[in-house]
Amino acid sequence: MSLLLSVSLILLTLAAYLATRRIFLAYRHPLLNPVFLSTVTIIALLKLTGYTWGDYQPAKEVMTFLLGPATVALALPLYHNRLLLRRHAPAVLAGVAAGSLTTMTAALVAGRLLSLNDTLLLSLGPKSVTVPIAVEISRLCGGEAPLTAAFVVATGMLGSILGPGTLTLLKVKHPMARGLALGTVSHGQGTAVALMESETAGAMGGVAMALAAVFTALIAPYYLPLFLH
Amino acid sequence: MTKTTFNIAWQVLLLWLVFRLGTFLVALLHLSLPGNVAGMLIMFALLASGAVKPSLVEEGGGFLLKHFAFFFIPISVGLMTFGDLMRQSGAALLFVLTVSALVGVAATGISVKLLQGSSSR
Repeated sequence: MSLLLSVSLILLTLAAYLATRRIFLAYRHPLLNPVFLSTVTIIALLKLTGYTWGDYQPAKEVMTFLLGPATVALALPLYHNRLLLRRHAPAVLAGVAAGSLTTMTAALVAGRLLSLNDTLLLSLGPKSVTVPIAVEISRLCGGEAPLTAAFVVATGMLGSILGPGTLTLLKVKHPMARGLALGTVSHGQGTAVALMESETAGAMGGVAMALAAVFTALIAPYYLPLFLH
Repeated sequence: MTKTTFNIAWQVLLLWLVFRLGTFLVALLHLSLPGNVAGMLIMFALLASGAVKPSLVEEGGGFLLKHFAFFFIPISVGLMTFGDLMRQSGAALLFVLTVSALVGVAATGISVKLLQGSSSR
């Protein structure tokens, strides 16, 4: 019975993903984000039918099994752009480091000012990094993995919606700078938006996503505790 | 079609092995680095050194990256356990996330723009 339920929930998730992906590809509007739309649909269906997170969890374990190898695959865009990267190494590295550090600092400072508790602050810290890595960083630092995942998804959406306009306002026009900014803050979702602007911006988004992940993973365990109560 | 499926399957297995190797090394060396990041760095080193040809993992890796978004869906369904928190601190969290995203985008964009102009062109 529970096996049947898990299989049904996996099929439901797949169907939601494929349907929302089609919608997104047809209209390309940031608000039609497939992750956001699918999540809302699935939660609504679970709530309506009286199922809980506990019922969904076994299916989740099966579906996220390939997340590790998927993250390893991020080495591919990094490799393909190695020449452009080498040429602009100082700008790329400094930009991603500055962006990762400021977005993390801003979240922690604003969170402290609004008196959020330590668990929330620790879960907010790695939120600009792609989910599989953010979740691991959060766990290492003592945050709540599902909370971090939620913050990552929200950050992806916010950055994708507000990022391009902000960059235009600041007269940041070069595709490399735009892609790096979107990827550093909004990881995969920012990269998707950058890819719509141009191929260079998209490639840089992927690079920024990978570099921001490594940078944040390296410093978060030492940096986050500085902002706790 | 079946050949593609077969290629994707064993290439994903290969990427999975690199992931496991990353996890294993992190545990062995007590690094405070997620195993998947270590795996990514190992994979990059293998590609950059020429030990592994990109074509060996391109199909499987491309498939996983194309559907990267899928994996985030089951994870964010976990949001349903945070209903109370969202009602309590939802507005504060939205503010924190918005401000930090704007600041981060601006900081990256401006610093790349400045450094790019001053160094190579």
